[in-house]
Amino acid sequence: MRDQNTERDRSAAQRRRKAESGSKRQVFRRTVFLMVACGVGLFVPLLCQIWNIAVVHHDEYQDLAVKQQTRDVSVAAERGSIYDAKDNVMAMSATVYNVILSPRDLVNSVSEKKFTKDGVLDEAAYQRAIKEKRELITDELCSVLELDREEVERRILKTDSAYEIMKKNVDGDRADQLQAFIAENKLGYALQMVPTSKRFYPFSSMAAQVLGFCNDEGGAYGLEAWYNDDLMGKPGRVVTTRTGNGIEMYNSYSEYVDAVNGYDLHLTIDSTIQAYAEKTLEEGIKEYDVVSGGWCIAMNPKTGAILAMASAPEYDPNNYGVVTDERLKAMLESQKNTMNVTDEIYQKAVGEALNKQWRSQAYMDTYEPGSTFKALVLSAALEEGVVTESDTFYCPGYGMVPGWKNPISCSKKAPGHKHQDLTQAVQHSCNPAFMEIGARLGSEKFYEYFRAFGLDEPTGLDLPGEGSGIIWPNMSNVDLAVASFGQRFTVTPIQMITAFSAAVNGGKLVKPYVVDSITDHDGTIIQKTEPTVVRQVVSEQTSHRVAKILEKVVSDPKDGTGKKAYQPGYRIGGKTGTSETTVPGEVVVSFMAFAPAEDPEVVVLLAYNTPARSAPGSNIGTSGTYISGGNMPAQKVGPLMANILDYLGVEKKYTAEEAAAADIPVPRVTGQTLAEAKSTLEKRKLGCRVVGEGQTVSAQVPSGGTPIPGGSSVILYLSGGPEGEGTVPDVSGLTFDAARNKLETAGFFMRASGASTYYGNTSKATGQSVPGGTKAAMGAVVNVQFSTPQVEDGYVAVD
Amino acid sequence: MSKKPRRDLTVEEQLARGPVDLPFLMLTMLLMGIGLIMMFSASYATAYYDPEVSSPLFYIKRQTLFAVAGVLIMYCVSKINYQTFRWLAVPLLIASIFLLVLVLIPHVGVKINGARRWLRMALVAGPTYQPSEIAKVAVILFFASRLSKRDTEKTRKFTKRTYTGRMLNRLEKIGFLELIPYGLVLGVVLLLVVKEPHMSGTILILAGAASVLFASGIGLGWFVGGGAAVITLLTLIIRFTPYMTGRINLWKDPWADPLGKGFQTIQSLLAIGSGGLLGLGLGKSRQKLLYIPEPENDFIFPIVVEELGFIGGTIVIVLFALLILRGYWLALHARDKFGALTTVGITTLLAVQVFLNIGVVTNLIPNTGISLPFFSFGGTALIIQLAEIGIILSISRQIPAPKND
Repeated sequence: MRDQNTERDRSAAQRRRKAESGSKRQVFRRTVFLMVACGVGLFVPLLCQIWNIAVVHHDEYQDLAVKQQTRDVSVAAERGSIYDAKDNVMAMSATVYNVILSPRDLVNSVSEKKFTKDGVLDEAAYQRAIKEKRELITDELCSVLELDREEVERRILKTDSAYEIMKKNVDGDRADQLQAFIAENKLGYALQMVPTSKRFYPFSSMAAQVLGFCNDEGGAYGLEAWYNDDLMGKPGRVVTTRTGNGIEMYNSYSEYVDAVNGYDLHLTIDSTIQAYAEKTLEEGIKEYDVVSGGWCIAMNPKTGAILAMASAPEYDPNNYGVVTDERLKAMLESQKNTMNVTDEIYQKAVGEALNKQWRSQAYMDTYEPGSTFKALVLSAALEEGVVTESDTFYCPGYGMVPGWKNPISCSKKAPGHKHQDLTQAVQHSCNPAFMEIGARLGSEKFYEYFRAFGLDEPTGLDLPGEGSGIIWPNMSNVDLAVASFGQRFTVTPIQMITAFSAAVNGGKLVKPYVVDSITDHDGTIIQKTEPTVVRQVVSEQTSHRVAKILEKVVSDPKDGTGKKAYQPGYRIGGKTGTSETTVPGEVVVSFMAFAPAEDPEVVVLLAYNTPARSAPGSNIGTSGTYISGGNMPAQKVGPLMANILDYLGVEKKYTAEEAAAADIPVPRVTGQTLAEAKSTLEKRKLGCRVVGEGQTVSAQVPSGGTPIPGGSSVILYLSGGPEGEGTVPDVSGLTFDAARNKLETAGFFMRASGASTYYGNTSKATGQSVPGGTKAAMGAVVNVQFSTPQVEDGYVAVD
Repeated sequence: MSKKPRRDLTVEEQLARGPVDLPFLMLTMLLMGIGLIMMFSASYATAYYDPEVSSPLFYIKRQTLFAVAGVLIMYCVSKINYQTFRWLAVPLLIASIFLLVLVLIPHVGVKINGARRWLRMALVAGPTYQPSEIAKVAVILFFASRLSKRDTEKTRKFTKRTYTGRMLNRLEKIGFLELIPYGLVLGVVLLLVVKEPHMSGTILILAGAASVLFASGIGLGWFVGGGAAVITLLTLIIRFTPYMTGRINLWKDPWADPLGKGFQTIQSLLAIGSGGLLGLGLGKSRQKLLYIPEPENDFIFPIVVEELGFIGGTIVIVLFALLILRGYWLALHARDKFGALTTVGITTLLAVQVFLNIGVVTNLIPNTGISLPFFSFGGTALIIQLAEIGIILSISRQIPAPKND
């Protein structure tokens, strides 16, 4: 029984042990499974994923991270200045600010935590705080910057935007006020003032088309565009780290790249000469009622340096989007008032008007050079030896071309210029004579010289948009004949003045330029323009012969069509021109002048585009002046030339007669005996007129030291003194000698000015500084204007 | 407390005085050390830019204090003979269920971000803690203690005369009746945690409990069935609740809403991505500068990779893996089934938590909001984790030393 029991017990225990060890094995197996699954299995995908993110896609994620972690602010480089030849600032930049709002950061700047209590956000209070901040900014922006409130309110709600440009180019007090507002209210990361620069042109409209202007993208026109890369400089960068809330931190991964300021331009243009040129242009436009503006270029013929380049109508680059020209404004106004003009059409008209102001006619547009071109034909013919100064030509008032039935008329209708030598033909600007010279030259040579003078390609002027002329190939006889006096082909004014320079400067074609040097901010020269001779077109001797003939055009008081440009003391040579542009109905009256004739320092091309006619088809302008180069620009170019030469310090050279009439200080002769006084005055080439009786001079008019024109008579009083005042006589219409006598008899002195005053008596007085009939102090010097009669060099239509 | 001389001790008592497992302890201390340093680095900027926090050292100071306290508690727990937990498991479970009920009561449970998961130490004051943390341990201990007696339990026999009796007999045979108490306990606890709501807590409790059941030898069929049920349920939830659908879509493409819901994930990816192979250097994270939300908490691991690179991140993961492997190793060598099952439960809990955290920050799995043990800021969580480690250490003391023949 006991045995049985123990037996049973043992088997039970055995069974239990068996079961137990079985279960233990199972626990072991399952734990090992968990060990592998959780201890290894779970971590393998994690490591793979981290490898994938941190190593494989490292670059992409890093780029994204750096983009959000850093603030990359560009620091504007200061745009270089533009100086004229005398270092006057013509264009400069000053710092202004763009006001940038970040609606997103504005919301972020209100901390949610502040309105969270026990994990619950007080939504209403939070929204109120944001609204308050928005209103604060809106109020300030509207009041300081005068922005449209609705617009600001709309944009401040664009919370997904971090860059809203609220206003550009804020300067001065308004900028200071906003800066203070931002600092005071700690709005630095919602509202920012980003410094940028604005362009200022201190001379406003002076040389506007040369300088051009800048818009938001940089230089848009003129030099500002052509030299944009040099002027612009390199913007710098400040890279700072910032926190998720936009707080900037300066630390080891901040980066600073200094802005490199733009280079400065130093022009060959002299603001004084430019001012003279613009004034002359403006006066002429007003005086002759010119419709389409004009241009005036002054150039150094030896180097190609442009001293002045003006074009009308002009604009103010400080406000380049404003139409300033009176004619253009009137045109727009009338357009506006016309019925059925949509806004689109009007805006297009405004754009066209602006474009007209921005364009420089002086180098972008083309025209027919007209008779000024004869100077080039002359030099080519002399160089080729097909004419000499002794050749004679006959002009019946028209010329015939073989194979062309119509006669081509001369500017002087029948009986024409009749017999003339070469110089006279040039002086007369005689078309038949030049038709013959052209025919002698032949079309092949004509082309050759046309190319040699650089008229078939842009001159290489350092300005954008330079135009170039067109000449038709395979000219017929009549084409050649007409081209010989400058019609049937076009050139740009800059091409014409450069070619003309080559004809008178010793035969060298030079490349014109306006930028003399480029320097950095400290004045170190980066680039210097050296005068470039493109080619020798004609020989030096030929050039001198041409210059000599062309001087006669101005200096000959009888035959010279350019005699109105004459200025005593300045040896001006030149050629008139009356021609068309490519625009139908436009007539350009131009004058090409150079001085001093034997060694030119300056060449000037002055042109007016289309003076208004007094009646349709009439050659007389509304001002009563005959529409031609010899009557309009020649009249204006003389004083301009004189001013430029004086400014350049070119020594005057008078003819004998002129020297005699030059101002001489009156010696003091009072107290001397009459004989002594007479000889003293004679030595100074002054005459005398004696009043009263006696032996010694008791008084003189004018008093000692006063400058009066040579050859005038000093009044010597032997007894008593001069009356205080006298009545100035009217001398208009009188010749030089008659006028002088009349004034001196009345006790005044005459200083003559105007054209060809000192040769014979072809010119008549047209005006006097003290009007006739008024009272003036005895001995006063009266300036009297002399003018020559109308010059016949008008435009000839060729059909 | 006077120490009894060794010869007076019972075998049990002698065993309980054995040495703790040194590799396990060292790995824990190493991870905690690295965790503290990284938490300091990650929290510095957050504290610095937070106007409500007085000092940039705010987080690290608190965490260090809790770490010290946690280590002391771990030591004390390791000193307890773990057999005590057999009977302690039941009151602990009851207490944790009570706390889980308490936390759901408004104004008692602290609500943060719409979830009521926290209780204060002294109910109205003191630092907060999550009752679900306690529930995890309680469930594991309860399951382990009950399941360890599984072999000795007799098969229940019911009368074959009634239909019910025959039915019950059949259920007993397939092992269903045995599971009922576990199912009930788990059901109640999970229900309470889901009510909070606390997704990650639910997953962890489920994972811990399942691992204990699994290791104890419950029929595999039940796991297959249970797993299938859970997956079906999850699929349904994902399909039919817009909130969950949104989360899944966000997981698939966080760039769909880069400034909103995808922000956190994207920032995390950017941090890990900027780390590269070697990282930016300790303390040089840029993403912690208010880009990653709460870098000191759930999203601390991206900062680790950003600063220490792939290499540094791998080292941390390998350390975790070693700790977990050592945990299972201890389970395999535990003196009895209770010790083994408890160790398996706690170790699995740790493994799943590490996996879920790093899986979330690397966008491997959808966001569940789970902290990284020993790294994330959170005092009471750290203390409870260290106490769990203490339990394993206590079990490790009773592992007989290998015989040297």
